[in-house]
Amino acid sequence: MRSLDVTKTAFSNTLRSKMRTFLTVIAIFIGAFALTLTSGLGAGINQTVDRIFGGFGEDDVIYVVPQIEADATDQDGPPEYDPDAAANMDSGFGTGMLTAEDIETIENTEHITSVSAEVAAQIEYVETAEGGQYQAQFDFALNDALAEVAAGATPDRGAMEIAVPEDWASIYDTDDPEDLVGESLTIAAPNAVGQLTEIEVEISGVLHGTLAGVGFQPIPSVALAEEVAEINLEGYEGQVSEGYIMAAAEVENLEENEEAVKAALTDEGFWPMTLEDQIGMFETLIDAITWILSGFALIALLAASFGIVNTLLMSVQERTREIGLMKALGMSSGKVFGLFSMEAVLIGVMGSLLGIGLGLATGFVADAFLTAEDGPLGGFAELSLFGLNPLAIGGIFLLIVLIAFLAGTLPAARAAKKDPIEALRYE
Amino acid sequence: MSTPVLETENLVKVYGRGPAAFHALKGLTFEINRGESVAIVGKSGSGKSTLMHLLALLDEPTSGVVALDGKPVTKLKPKVVSGLRNATFGFVFQQFFLNPNQTVLENVTLPLKIAGVSKSERNERGMAALEQLEMADKAKNKATDLSGGQKQRVCIARALINNPEVLFADEPTGNLDTATSETVEDILFGLHRDHGITLVVVTHDEDLAAKCQRRLIMQDGQIVEEQTGASTAPPTAAQAPAASGEPSQPKPATRRRLMKFGKGGAR
Repeated sequence: MRSLDVTKTAFSNTLRSKMRTFLTVIAIFIGAFALTLTSGLGAGINQTVDRIFGGFGEDDVIYVVPQIEADATDQDGPPEYDPDAAANMDSGFGTGMLTAEDIETIENTEHITSVSAEVAAQIEYVETAEGGQYQAQFDFALNDALAEVAAGATPDRGAMEIAVPEDWASIYDTDDPEDLVGESLTIAAPNAVGQLTEIEVEISGVLHGTLAGVGFQPIPSVALAEEVAEINLEGYEGQVSEGYIMAAAEVENLEENEEAVKAALTDEGFWPMTLEDQIGMFETLIDAITWILSGFALIALLAASFGIVNTLLMSVQERTREIGLMKALGMSSGKVFGLFSMEAVLIGVMGSLLGIGLGLATGFVADAFLTAEDGPLGGFAELSLFGLNPLAIGGIFLLIVLIAFLAGTLPAARAAKKDPIEALRYE
Repeated sequence: MSTPVLETENLVKVYGRGPAAFHALKGLTFEINRGESVAIVGKSGSGKSTLMHLLALLDEPTSGVVALDGKPVTKLKPKVVSGLRNATFGFVFQQFFLNPNQTVLENVTLPLKIAGVSKSERNERGMAALEQLEMADKAKNKATDLSGGQKQRVCIARALINNPEVLFADEPTGNLDTATSETVEDILFGLHRDHGITLVVVTHDEDLAAKCQRRLIMQDGQIVEEQTGASTAPPTAAQAPAASGEPSQPKPATRRRLMKFGKGGAR
């Protein structure tokens, strides 16, 4: 029997009891649909992350935070007080703070040309030229690398500049972010006893909000953040230990020296990360979530595969005489096996094509709806929830066909084993 | 014509083991010559069906040898045996075994499909076989829409499509009324007479058996009697109502059509 004939015969056999085939296909369809959605979700978010961080690939910067103590979570009771340790504030990374000494160590590491340190800076309010006062909090100055600019540019690290979120356009009574660039803004910074000092800064740019959480708060320049931090400490009585949340170290020729610098910094007790590492961490997390969701879809597929086994076992039973006839007329056991496993494969193909097709359609329509300008998730720049990953789709298709084939082997083997004499006698 | 198309030597078939063992065949040795018509006759339980299954290579003997064209087939691989069955034998069953979901033509061409013949050639040869049995007008019908006699004619067409050397007919008229039985018998013996097909008929119907050149009478797993020569009682083929064409005139034409397929065409 030719392969084409096997396929055609198998196909017409699956159409014989349409309802039964349809129900089996539905089960496969659900699995394929769910897998397509989860993998598309993962692909879409990863594409978003790539797009957001994509522009900063050639940044020669390693970000440094203190290493998490290995036994930090296992320790009994609080650690002993160390007066030299940095102020007991959380950096936002859950990792403690860098001291001035640490910054020096980082500066002295080979291949590092300069270091900018992130200080904690508190402000009371901002005031526009017209006199309106608004509540605000600074984002990290070093997050400028992650910012998405709608107009103008990120602040010059050395100048007294600031970049503001897009929605601040409303306080300047305008819709066009371009109008904000170059405007002046007054920052009111409190000192330790609550007295305010005003600093006038220039708006260098306007920011889009991104999924990384950057762009929803004003980003000061490094110089501005340091200035505000200094004001914050004025009037503080007692010993002040300077603390830095994070340091950004410029590295000469990052590509070549990355490993060496990272090793050196790790030995010194730091946790060095390039922008790429941070993206990588984010994507690893997304991938992990995708895999977990896909796991559930796979369970659905596993259940569906038993549907195939059941359907085909019934089919083999019903067609006992037909199998007997085919074998009597000279069809080899191998071909009988091939015929029935081809039926299973075809059920898998039908279910997966339907599931993948409808899954992709649903994903893209939902994505378009949710992230439309006025959609529920329309506020994020560059956000896409669903992406096409041809490799993953191809993988899903092959996986389902493989599962279907494996499910078909048991009934097919049973059909192949039938003795033609017994089968022809069967009523 | 010197080598018998089928021969057996000390053919034994035992079902079960030990004290429960049932000796269905107790050492049969005989030959079936090319172009012969042989009836295997016996009551049910006499072993005639078992013998046919062994001759048709559907089953393996417990001991002894079945040889096809002088070559023993007992030790051949199952796949080779399947191929031999497909190319050498035609089967006509009492219960027809037509696939109700398929058309008459599809049913008839099943052996060719199994042999791996292309669809266009399958249909061409299928139509030729149906024409030969005057069933061409039913080619597109579903097999369920036919009467018993028509069904058996479709079965015969299916059995002939591979241009077989041996046609096995297992109670071919068992499910048919007397008039239809006669038509089917005439077709079978017409094929045997006109085309030289070796005919092996398994039956307990003595009228049918009587039309064969040789009868092997079976009882309790042994051939108890062998009769030769057609009996006198049934009508000869020449007198039979011509179901497969006029007895004398179309004979060469029909033969040419059969020969055209060629023996190699089936493989």
